[in-house]
Amino acid sequence: MSKAGTLPAVKSRQDELYDEAAASFGPAIERLAHAYEADRDIRRDLVQEIHIALWRSFAAFDGRCSLRTWLYRIAHNVAISHVIKQRRSKGPGLIGLDDLPEASSSHEAADRNQDLARLMDFIQRLKPLDRQVILLYLEGTDAASIGEITGLSARYVSTKVYRIKEVLARRFNAGGRNEE
Amino acid sequence: MKNESPPNRMQEIWQCQPVEDTKMSVEEIRKRATKFGKKIFWRNVREYVAGTIAIVLLAFSIARSHNVLDRSAFALLIAGMVYMMYQLHRRGAAQSVSASAAPGPSLEFYRGELKRQRDLTSTVWSWYLAPFVPGLVASAVGSAAHNLHPWHIAVVTFWYGLIAAFFVLVWRWNARAARCLQRMIDDLGTME
Repeated sequence: MSKAGTLPAVKSRQDELYDEAAASFGPAIERLAHAYEADRDIRRDLVQEIHIALWRSFAAFDGRCSLRTWLYRIAHNVAISHVIKQRRSKGPGLIGLDDLPEASSSHEAADRNQDLARLMDFIQRLKPLDRQVILLYLEGTDAASIGEITGLSARYVSTKVYRIKEVLARRFNAGGRNEE
Repeated sequence: MKNESPPNRMQEIWQCQPVEDTKMSVEEIRKRATKFGKKIFWRNVREYVAGTIAIVLLAFSIARSHNVLDRSAFALLIAGMVYMMYQLHRRGAAQSVSASAAPGPSLEFYRGELKRQRDLTSTVWSWYLAPFVPGLVASAVGSAAHNLHPWHIAVVTFWYGLIAAFFVLVWRWNARAARCLQRMIDDLGTME
């Protein structure tokens, strides 16, 4: 009786946490998966794998860190495993034509799509931890939180973020700004 | 928008990119988690079945052979196969634990994954290749002993030499991969 009474309560906490995380960070998980996997079908599997790992992990969530930190750690760790597995089986993936964002009639939108495609191409060439830092930066995460999620030193993260800003400024100022 | 600095603009472009909406209910997640577990189970079953078939074929060869050297060679190959399968099982179990992703910082997780890969590749000789060496040596001696004609000895030497070269190649390739992984682990030390 007590067992039957305890089990659903644990599950419901796990389910609630998952629902909250999926609702708040669903799009961020999709963007993260896009940065780690160029192939659309494999990417869908990766997204599902992240969701399953998240749901499983919430059975052990103790609130010692924020939900956001927990989620990003799980998601990036699943993605890192994926990168290692993929590198072993077929080498780095490439962006297919189908994966480029939809073309738009508006110049501004076309320009943004081009920048996004270039940004994605740039990110997908990075080493896992550098990729993680730039992804978290692009998601608007501050340096202290990036350090907490990744385990990298604050000094290293600050230097990396500075470098990322520099690289983004150089790469995305130099090309694709024809109308300016 | 056009006056925004590129890094801020890239943040905005990144966060506003169109994404697929992969919404899964908890029920669906639960189903998929079970399905995923079954997939791993059947993959393991396939590997064990393949190993068992090889063992059965070798056992069949023992039953058919009347030569002591040949029978010893097959028995040693079976022992090697069993040991290798046990190691695969042990190391595979460790992998499925790490693949479920720990909630620790990524640096720690990444280092752990690299170390696991390094240990797997650097010890490939001891758990993947060496278990077959006694059986192969006994098999080579047995094959040569059937016929001591120099031409036959040369053919046996050639074929077993090819196997030996393959073993050395696998070992060297893995040792190189292990060194590369070690360099990656060392690089991580500078990030802390």
